[in-house]
Amino acid sequence: MGRLTTSHIIETVVWGLIVIIFFGFSFEFDREIEIYKFGATGWPRTILILLALVTLGNLFHLYRNGSIGEAGRVGQSEPDDEMTYNSLRDYSKLLAILIGPLIYAILLKPVGFYFLTPFFISYIIVIFGERSLKFILGVTLLLYLILLLLFMVVLNAPLPQGNMSPFYDYSAFLLKLNTQLKQLSIW
Amino acid sequence: MIEHFLAGSATLFGDPFTIGVFIFGVLGGMLFGAIPGVSMLTLCAILLPFTAQLTASQGVMLFAVIYCTGTYGGAITAILFNIPGAPENAPTAFDGYPMTQQGKAGKAVGAAVLCSAIGGVASAIVMMAATEPLAKWAIRNIGPPEIFALVFFGLAVASSVGGKTMWKGWMSVLLGLLIATIGQDPVGGINRYNFGFADLAAGIAFVPSILGFFAVSEIFVQAEKKAMGKFTAPKVGLSFPTFAEIWFHKIAVVRSILVGFFCGILPGIGATLAAFMGYGEAVRWSKDKTSFGKGNIEGVISSETANNAATGAAMIPLLALGLPGGALTAMMVAVFQMHDLEPGPLVFYNSPDLIWVVFAAMFYANLCILFIGLLETKTILHLLKVPFQFLAPLILLLASIGSYIGRGLVLDVMVMFGAGIIGFLLRRSGYSIPGIVLGIILGKIGEQNFAQGMQMVHYDLLTYLSRPVCLILIIAGSLTLLSGIYKAVSTSLNSKA
Repeated sequence: MGRLTTSHIIETVVWGLIVIIFFGFSFEFDREIEIYKFGATGWPRTILILLALVTLGNLFHLYRNGSIGEAGRVGQSEPDDEMTYNSLRDYSKLLAILIGPLIYAILLKPVGFYFLTPFFISYIIVIFGERSLKFILGVTLLLYLILLLLFMVVLNAPLPQGNMSPFYDYSAFLLKLNTQLKQLSIW
Repeated sequence: MIEHFLAGSATLFGDPFTIGVFIFGVLGGMLFGAIPGVSMLTLCAILLPFTAQLTASQGVMLFAVIYCTGTYGGAITAILFNIPGAPENAPTAFDGYPMTQQGKAGKAVGAAVLCSAIGGVASAIVMMAATEPLAKWAIRNIGPPEIFALVFFGLAVASSVGGKTMWKGWMSVLLGLLIATIGQDPVGGINRYNFGFADLAAGIAFVPSILGFFAVSEIFVQAEKKAMGKFTAPKVGLSFPTFAEIWFHKIAVVRSILVGFFCGILPGIGATLAAFMGYGEAVRWSKDKTSFGKGNIEGVISSETANNAATGAAMIPLLALGLPGGALTAMMVAVFQMHDLEPGPLVFYNSPDLIWVVFAAMFYANLCILFIGLLETKTILHLLKVPFQFLAPLILLLASIGSYIGRGLVLDVMVMFGAGIIGFLLRRSGYSIPGIVLGIILGKIGEQNFAQGMQMVHYDLLTYLSRPVCLILIIAGSLTLLSGIYKAVSTSLNSKA
């Protein structure tokens, strides 16, 4: 096993799966292009073959050197402090950091930007360790107003309004209010 | 040339409204360039419909000025927060962010200001003096084979910086190239890897993936540090680089100007590859290679000089040939068309006033970078004192809006956060995020030019390599690649398993 660890093997398997899955899906568009000899699959398959070769090279490096990097590599910042996860609580913190924003993105379509955003702002502030309710509410309100002012009032940017009641109704109310305010300012 | 330049300057500063447009462009470019999530492209996309109300020269001048100052603006967040405002500022973060961590943010931002201005002014002067002859040279000598060869060279350079090992550098670049294959192929328009999602037929948009890999992954890294109690606020260092420090790196500045200008003149290549190659060449010629990535000011100098040197050069194919080199110059074509003009050789004869107003404005915009940049630097450095729990939601939401408004797809916001998670995990394992992003940006350009080049030479590799510029670039790229493989293999063989 050399200096290979379980995480190295998982890393290699993931890359291998990427190559296999993408190569497999390339048969879906394996059609000739009259004006181009290599067709639609030539370029992606070349990339996949190279990726497979480089993954093997990486495996060989990991086998001989473990996680130690190559000496003299440039542009690689000093390694961050190694994070050690000792408990389930630590893992749940990491999961909350990574999954929360993704859930926000998934909910954007049904709930809409206008209703969902204040909750998201508060969530991120809490994730960053802030526990003062005053700070959380104050910053949430301030950022929400700045974003509304910039993107709704000034730029009229079309943001997701949601497609479920009552969230959609809330977005429609804000947009109607914005239109009325603008009409007032014109008069 | 001088009389044309003076006439352009007089037109620019002779009308208060034109001056207002110029100032708006300078400040807007700097501001939007410096905010991760809403880049100068977002600003230009928002402004595009309004340019119909301006004259043609005001409209094109506004976009040209935003291009210059926006390219500089992105350096600020790259240095202060490790979040490049735009991909062309990614190599700036390699050394700029470690300098911030060492309390030398003032020196890094000061070097970025000075070198952006030097690169931009030099580029503007060459552009004014030589647009027509350079365009003629480019027509004769540069075609799809040369552009593909430069993409190959650029990717070889990108793979040699950033990752923990050469293998990881290449895996990052290849992952970027693979992501770029999603969507229609550039030759036959056949859908690839859409996995049943109709929205993926248009491919993975640049903006969400770039924001995800750079901005979101950095927020995740900082959030993880906070959650695990390992977060340390960056130190505020207000000292500027001295003249002697910049003068010491004069060769790097000149080299980066040349690299940036060469990359900028090629359609589709632009400032991003220029910055990577400027950085890569600085490392290649340095006597102290190991100091790069750990806070070497030359890394900031070379990257920022090269990307701003590319801005002036990028105007040459646009104005002389009518070929836009990137998204922003493509929007400039739209401005021309809104005013019933076509960029190309005829524009020099039909609208010389417009050309010289644009040239003069780009020259002065680069000077403004120097003056406004130096004035604002100390204020900007105080951003480091703003609590990250305030900045993080703002950056994430601006990035979400920036991703969404490009195509109006919630899918793009999901792609952005997905890219953020992947970027976070890959960073922890020593992969190169800038390498992935460069792969995404250059993937389609590389494939398209490879296909066109192959068709041009009837699939004969010898004919392909008989083109001198192409041969030089392929040899340079191959040498970079082979030396990387040699080092990587010898490292592995010399260590005991």
